[in-house]
Amino acid sequence: MSKVILLAEDDEDNRDLVSFVLQRSRLDLELVMAENGKEAIDLAIQKSPSLILMDMQMPVMDGWTAVPILKSNELTKEIPIIAFTAQAKPEDKIRTFQIGCVEHYTKPMDPEELLQLIQKYINP
Amino acid sequence: MADQYIKEAKFEKARIEVERAMKLDPTNPYIVAFQDRIKHFEELNKVSTVPPASDKQPSPEPPPKPVEQPKHVSASQPAPPPAQAKTPTSPPPTPAPQKTEAAPKPPPPPPKETPPPPKAPEPPPVVTAPPPPPVQVPPPVQKAPAAHDEDKGVVESKLEEMKRQLEELTKALDLEKRAREEIEKRHLQGAVKQLRMAMEKAWVNGAPNEKESDVLRQMAISLSIPEEVLQSLQREVKLDMYSRAVKEVISKRKLLRSSSSTLEWLRKVYQVSVSEYLENESKFLLDLVSDQYRGTVLFVSSSQGGKDLIPRLKSNGYAVVHALSPEIALEKIEKINPNVIVCETQFPDGSLSGVKFLHLLRTNSKFNFLPFVMIAVDGDEKKQFESSELRLNEGCVHQPVDFDELSSMINQKLAAFRDYISSLA
Repeated sequence: MSKVILLAEDDEDNRDLVSFVLQRSRLDLELVMAENGKEAIDLAIQKSPSLILMDMQMPVMDGWTAVPILKSNELTKEIPIIAFTAQAKPEDKIRTFQIGCVEHYTKPMDPEELLQLIQKYINP
Repeated sequence: MADQYIKEAKFEKARIEVERAMKLDPTNPYIVAFQDRIKHFEELNKVSTVPPASDKQPSPEPPPKPVEQPKHVSASQPAPPPAQAKTPTSPPPTPAPQKTEAAPKPPPPPPKETPPPPKAPEPPPVVTAPPPPPVQVPPPVQKAPAAHDEDKGVVESKLEEMKRQLEELTKALDLEKRAREEIEKRHLQGAVKQLRMAMEKAWVNGAPNEKESDVLRQMAISLSIPEEVLQSLQREVKLDMYSRAVKEVISKRKLLRSSSSTLEWLRKVYQVSVSEYLENESKFLLDLVSDQYRGTVLFVSSSQGGKDLIPRLKSNGYAVVHALSPEIALEKIEKINPNVIVCETQFPDGSLSGVKFLHLLRTNSKFNFLPFVMIAVDGDEKKQFESSELRLNEGCVHQPVDFDELSSMINQKLAAFRDYISSLA
């Protein structure tokens, strides 16, 4: 049974690109996508993904709000979350770790690097 | 006893018997009668014995003559009858023998012993003819050649028929062979197309795994596609799919940290070797830029719906110059030298209509062949345009505009214009 990855990203092109890379990874993964933090929380509870890629800047509910909620929920607190953001300042990186993210991945994206990171948490 | 001898044609013995009786009783009145009788029959016998003597063969044939004998029943001799039988038809006794051969046939009808009679009915009339033999004899002989000729004719016509059938068969076989070759060719083309589609599906996200590769190989075998064709097709599909993937990912290059590392990653995903990449680099690059810039569109529109199309046209690789009216378009057209004009039919009062604008363009030698696409907005102008001869050559899409239709129409007009320019060269 394929593992599920949840991508919370408001930008359509970015969603497409992650999807493009994962499709070509030959990893047995199912990608589910949310356009904001609120949708991400619902899908996380519903799908119990193995990993969440969370954009920190989103409309409706951003990642800074959604991650603490996920980490406080019994059903989702164990799911590793990778902060997927364009914010590359060191303080931002520290902040993402503080709210419970396991990694801080800075956009723009490198397909090979992203896949290595995903594999690290999918197949620990 | 003498009577017996007479019947047996033993006239001498009959005469001796009569003489003996005369010695015994010279007054016997029958003696003279017997002598006369002997004499009479002896003469008769002499006449009749001539034919039988010269023609002993016919003796076996006499049987038919007996038919005529009934009259001579009393003369139990077989010989006389034939002579009498012929007398009616042929006087001379000599030819009789010949006729006896032929004669037997006329009579056949009555006799039962002659099986050939079936053909006899013909002879009867011939019998009356003087040269019966030739006519009569021929039957068997003549019938043979006639039958032979007839057979020959039949055989020849049959041969001709067979020859004709053979030719037709050969033609049919030839046609069938050609049809078969065409079918095989089409089948192969179809098979290759089918395999190619399956391959594209398998290669869309990179090199297929072993299982998928096996499926493709099995498919090629079942479609009778040779190994070398399979390999060639696979290489073609691989490079094509790699090129498509590069194009797709590069279109999002702003989201990528490094285009070069992304391309390198894709090369591995599609198992494109460095040599293959270098060999096809120019093709890949051409593919990449092919839809980067498609041309300049002079977009003449005053409606909001029209304006909304501009960003989509730009994202499709067109440089778009917007003009709010045909008058403004006429001012800009010289400067921007557009590749295609997209224009609505209706504009606010005081402006030229799209149709008039088009007429102006077509009367100007510079813009005579410039590709033009009309966006037909409901109204009199639309009716005027659709009913005019312009509709035959100019592109037209209807409001509300289906962007794909518009894009396809623009491409079609650009291709037609390109072909026209090429033909001039």
